[in-house]
Amino acid sequence: MKPVSREVVRIAASMTVACAAGAAILGVVYVATDRYREASALRTEREAVATMLGIDSTTTVVEVRQYLEPARREVIYRAAPFGVPGAEGREVVFGLDGALVGAHALPAGEPVAKTLEPLGRVFVAIRDGRAAGFVVEGEARGYKNFIRFFVALRGDFEVAGVRVIQHEEDPGLGAEVATGWFDGQYVGRSAEEVARLEVTRDPMPEDWRAALVALSRRAPGSGAVHDSLLARERAKPIYAVTGATISSRAVTDGVRVTVEHFRRRWALLAPHLGGMA
Amino acid sequence: MSRSGLWLAAALTAAGLMLTAESAGADDTRILSARPVPPDGIRLRFSAPIGRTDPANFRVTTAQAPDIPIAVLAVEPGPGHRVSLKLSEPVTSTGRYRLDVSDPPLHREVNPSPWTLMLGVFLASALINNFVFTRYLGLCIFFGVSKKRDTAIGMGITFAVVMILTGMLSWAIDSWVLRPLQLSFLQILVFIGVVAFAVQLLDTVLRKTHAALYQRWGIYLMLITTNCIILAVPLLNATAKSGSLEALALAVGSGIGFAVALFLMSCARERMELARVPAPFAGLPIAFALTGLFALAFMGFSGLDFFR
Amino acid sequence: MTTLLHPGPAPTPRQLILNGIFAENPVFRLALSLCPAVAVTTSVLNGLLLGVAVLAVQVLSSVTVTLVRGLIHPRVRIPVYTIIIAVWVSAIDMALAAFFPALYAQVGLYVKLIVAFAIIISRLEVFASRQPLVPSFFDGLGMGLGFLLALLAIGAFRELLGSGSFAGHAIAPGKPLLFLTLPAGGFFSIAILMAFFNWIEARARRGREGSAPAPRAAAGGTHGV
Repeated sequence: MKPVSREVVRIAASMTVACAAGAAILGVVYVATDRYREASALRTEREAVATMLGIDSTTTVVEVRQYLEPARREVIYRAAPFGVPGAEGREVVFGLDGALVGAHALPAGEPVAKTLEPLGRVFVAIRDGRAAGFVVEGEARGYKNFIRFFVALRGDFEVAGVRVIQHEEDPGLGAEVATGWFDGQYVGRSAEEVARLEVTRDPMPEDWRAALVALSRRAPGSGAVHDSLLARERAKPIYAVTGATISSRAVTDGVRVTVEHFRRRWALLAPHLGGMA
Repeated sequence: MSRSGLWLAAALTAAGLMLTAESAGADDTRILSARPVPPDGIRLRFSAPIGRTDPANFRVTTAQAPDIPIAVLAVEPGPGHRVSLKLSEPVTSTGRYRLDVSDPPLHREVNPSPWTLMLGVFLASALINNFVFTRYLGLCIFFGVSKKRDTAIGMGITFAVVMILTGMLSWAIDSWVLRPLQLSFLQILVFIGVVAFAVQLLDTVLRKTHAALYQRWGIYLMLITTNCIILAVPLLNATAKSGSLEALALAVGSGIGFAVALFLMSCARERMELARVPAPFAGLPIAFALTGLFALAFMGFSGLDFFR
Repeated sequence: MTTLLHPGPAPTPRQLILNGIFAENPVFRLALSLCPAVAVTTSVLNGLLLGVAVLAVQVLSSVTVTLVRGLIHPRVRIPVYTIIIAVWVSAIDMALAAFFPALYAQVGLYVKLIVAFAIIISRLEVFASRQPLVPSFFDGLGMGLGFLLALLAIGAFRELLGSGSFAGHAIAPGKPLLFLTLPAGGFFSIAILMAFFNWIEARARRGREGSAPAPRAAAGGTHGV
């Protein structure tokens, strides 16, 4: 019996050592790569926000995060300069009915309480002390899973761009909603037009498709071409991707709801952001 | 061992039901149940009659936008203190909402019933997102054991049992140990360990207690370790941060989905034996083409409107 | 076992690499690790990323096994191999997530699933646990390259015909056979490519007029694991 039990101990010991060594190696790799993962996620977002808003050196971007405090039934906004570590921010608290509870400065690095449920994010571009544009994060249930997207708005809430940043739609079908030609259809529509936006399964006119493809390959904000085309098409519904009406409708409804909600929230929030906007 | 797997599943289901049955409210009048009813309704049941049934007495929002109320168009009182709200916007059976009543002052989260949720996840993982036909997982085993119907059924059943066991074990470890301790980077190592442990455990127990059962199905156990579905389910649960019910439904659904796929394929392949196949396509290529046809057929399930 | 695989004198690195790419190509010949071959090959870039990940895991695991095999108790050989693979897969998963976030978003699940790939553990068991360090390295390299090239071939086929583009650059107007990028199209693409390789091999065999011994069961034979 003795040699057998010794062998069992040896096996158990070597497995334990192997697991511990594996876990230790992974811990080291995790610590080493996590910094880069966060940095590259931040960089991707910065790049998206910068190109969608046409940022130049005179613009600063403020990130506003919205939370729900379920027990006190409050909505909390935390604003801070985007991607500037160590900068002071501002916290504005409303009741669920929209009544102001309080607004105060937020020290840098103030942790988010665990009870807060994140609701969404907005990036505000500030030029000459005024809000010149917004990028609002939105989400919609697509064909397979959630589609996450950014909607860029000008100061007057006209759509400046839509960019799908995460989706699991089928390549060749639903995945087409992430292409520039589809998203280009939203550009230039006013908030009132977006509120009434519908989707059609009619085929997209060839000249309009060609113009959208050409536009999507140019640098964003490089000036309006095809003015007559834009004037003609802007009054029309969004043309669905062929074979992917559900995905197209999901993005369109998502954009509509996102813009509508953001306008109502901004009307409440803007006066209380103090020096930030 | 499969019996204790079932006990574990039953216990977790009961725990989940108790959690969701909890309701908030004042001392005397409570909201007993609140469910979204597509296309545009919320159905409520109170423990006692309520004073006001005008639309202004109710405030409904989605869970994602608790600060933006959805207009209540009409309120219809029903028998047994039931009240139906008609909203200005469409609701979905799997959506999450918040409800406030001003008189009497009550707050309540309106969540889909656990059964709706489980049925949704189950159908999605078994049919709409069938692992073999739309996520292309488990193909090695799928092509390996789908030649004969008997082996296909044996593998299907064994796999479904192991799937439920490892799925729930991994879910428990992930949500009670790894995530609270922020050790998520050990996910892969831990999950593959759980799979190996479960397979070894079943193997030993089955061999000692049910020799006949072991003789029949023991050979499939070892194959399971190299089936990617067995690892995909815990990983998907971990990514989606699923609750206990969703995790259980995903494990059951994907186990059954794999068994169904194996069974269908084995039936078709038995017929293929008799068919004359061009020489270059003989064997695996024609099996791939056959699977492609099944995948096309399964695309039809995507139209199931269950989820929206 | 080794002599069965490679008769004659010890194989050179070149032979080992060519073996992995052609004679024992993991996807087309051994019919192993098929899941990613269908799942991520809607475009060349996806195939490339996963192929590189598998290549790295295979080489690193092979080398690790040859280095530590003296310490491993033979009874727990397979579990220890699994741990080694899981560690390398996790490490590469984290590295890809950190440095290629956009591509990783599309193939992330399949990178994690490399752990369950039969090809890797079977090479460890068949080759790396018995051979010295250098041949094991080249065997891992050959197998990884064979997998990478197979994924690239399927990805190029599907992207060219399905989306009319190559590595994201449109080269054909419109979409010739959109069907091929759909889930079901992946299965048909592999069926066609496998049949094509079988056909080439049958022709080559006929060209040699049966002078050489018949090659081992081709992709036509299904391997369970």
